[in-house]
Amino acid sequence: MPTCLMISNRMKWLLSVAITMLLTMLLWSIDATAAESCQSLRERSAGQQVISIHCGGAPSATVDADGRLWAAFVQDKHVYVTRSDDNGGTYTTPVRVNSEPEDTEYNGENRPKILVAEDGTVLLSWTTKTSPNFTGEIRFTRSTDVGKTFEPPRTMNDDGLMTGHRFDSLFLTASGKLYLTWIDKRDLDASAARGETYPGAAIYYTVSDDLGETFTPNFRVSHNSCECCRIAMAPHGDDEVAILWRQIYDEHIRDHAIAVLGEQGDVSGLTRATVDDWFIDACPHHGPTMVQAAQPGQYHISWFSDGNLHSGIHYGRHDMATGTTENIIQVDGTPGAGHPYLARYDNTLYMVWKGFNGMASHLQLMRSQDDGATWSAPQTLFNTEQASDHPLLVTAPHGVFLSWSSEEFGYLFTEISSDEKQ
Amino acid sequence: MKSNRLLSAAVALCVGLLMSTAALADSIQPLGTGTFAELKSGFEGKPFVVSLWSVDCLPCRVELELLGELKKEDPEFPLLLISTDTIEKREEAVYILEEYGLESIPSWMFADAFIERLRFSIDPTWHGELPRSYFYAADHSFKAHSGILTEEKLREFFPQ
Repeated sequence: MPTCLMISNRMKWLLSVAITMLLTMLLWSIDATAAESCQSLRERSAGQQVISIHCGGAPSATVDADGRLWAAFVQDKHVYVTRSDDNGGTYTTPVRVNSEPEDTEYNGENRPKILVAEDGTVLLSWTTKTSPNFTGEIRFTRSTDVGKTFEPPRTMNDDGLMTGHRFDSLFLTASGKLYLTWIDKRDLDASAARGETYPGAAIYYTVSDDLGETFTPNFRVSHNSCECCRIAMAPHGDDEVAILWRQIYDEHIRDHAIAVLGEQGDVSGLTRATVDDWFIDACPHHGPTMVQAAQPGQYHISWFSDGNLHSGIHYGRHDMATGTTENIIQVDGTPGAGHPYLARYDNTLYMVWKGFNGMASHLQLMRSQDDGATWSAPQTLFNTEQASDHPLLVTAPHGVFLSWSSEEFGYLFTEISSDEKQ
Repeated sequence: MKSNRLLSAAVALCVGLLMSTAALADSIQPLGTGTFAELKSGFEGKPFVVSLWSVDCLPCRVELELLGELKKEDPEFPLLLISTDTIEKREEAVYILEEYGLESIPSWMFADAFIERLRFSIDPTWHGELPRSYFYAADHSFKAHSGILTEEKLREFFPQ
């Protein structure tokens, strides 16, 4: 009996080694698989944990100067980075960015951001929740060895307060200035301590001119922003950025504001970008999108509102010089339509968004060849009767790509600029 | 060695008990695509109020506080609470509901990550903004409200 037990133990051990080897091979091959649903990956992994862009929460992506795709996603309280050298066909084994687990936010409006500088420095920001009461910290890290290892993450809000710092956005100018902006509640806290009311939150930012080695102190852009919508960013000249965010007007109206941020904390051109008259003391969780227009100082913007003047997804062209938004078009007014995203490439404008008909979500695309004056009829790229993320667009040296995660298809990185003539 | 083992067994038992109590301490149920229609039929011929909220929504806390006070004054007030968070956030939701004394009233959480369809099952014209509330009259005609519910608004529908 004891001999029998010994043999069976040895066999068990051998078996477990064999299974581990098999699973390692399986997992390795899974990482090298093209877009497919997380569910099918999990089924093939025989109960082992699958760390993959197809399973990760709220991925975002960028393309480096060499045309390689880099993506960041959240899984099990860690940010992961993976790379694809064949436009999303196959992915490298994801690298864990933060060694200590953090309550990293990942949802349609708030996800890790990833950028790659021309010299290959990988730059990342995200929001870490610090309590269930809307407190959070803006985190930043980078890799200077082509994504093999990442520096320990740093907290970028410099107030040391246990308050809200969330909804980060990251942008690198062509001249190499790195801008990080977010929604901040330090002024709300200060007002509350004085017994004063303070609608909403504030917008803050910081700048780095050495690719994230050092940053300036935090600068305030505006008081009274909405608390829960992503901030859109676009270049302004060589060194500055323009940002577009949901702002509170007259205490209860949640429309949009635009401003230009300079590298020394100089904020200029702060003006109202949309007049929708959306009277709402609520969280729309619905941020805008913006890209630079052909004309310097002009921006293509798209946003969602359910205001008295504009309801549904709208598009417009904002002119910083006059402070006005013109050529306003309703893109989709059907209930459930939302989350537009813009890109401009080779003089064509692309806009994607999500529609919903009661059963299925539709991923919609339309194009403009005349700087937003007229648009093609919407074309449905995908339909799904399962959950899906907000669609994002990534502009690469070789085209415009849809970056979209869904239960049904996994993570998709698909060129949308190739079939323009169709 | 033996005492160590005993200690770890005792710790495991305690942790197990704590976890099972935590799992039973709330009255949250999953909301699927057919749930809202069932809830409505449970109130046939009766008025009721639905309040939709999420753990990530700051204005919702103001509304939950008001609703907590209301339920304290009037425990019979016909209120349904629906959190649009997925069920994984249950612990966080319970923590918040407890803060406002609302943990024992009928409560639902979105059971599916396909939130668009669940929203649609409640109201096809709702864009997802929170807080969102519905006042159902006895004949189940309803009025929707986006933004924080005020006492005045409640009184409009349920005059004392």
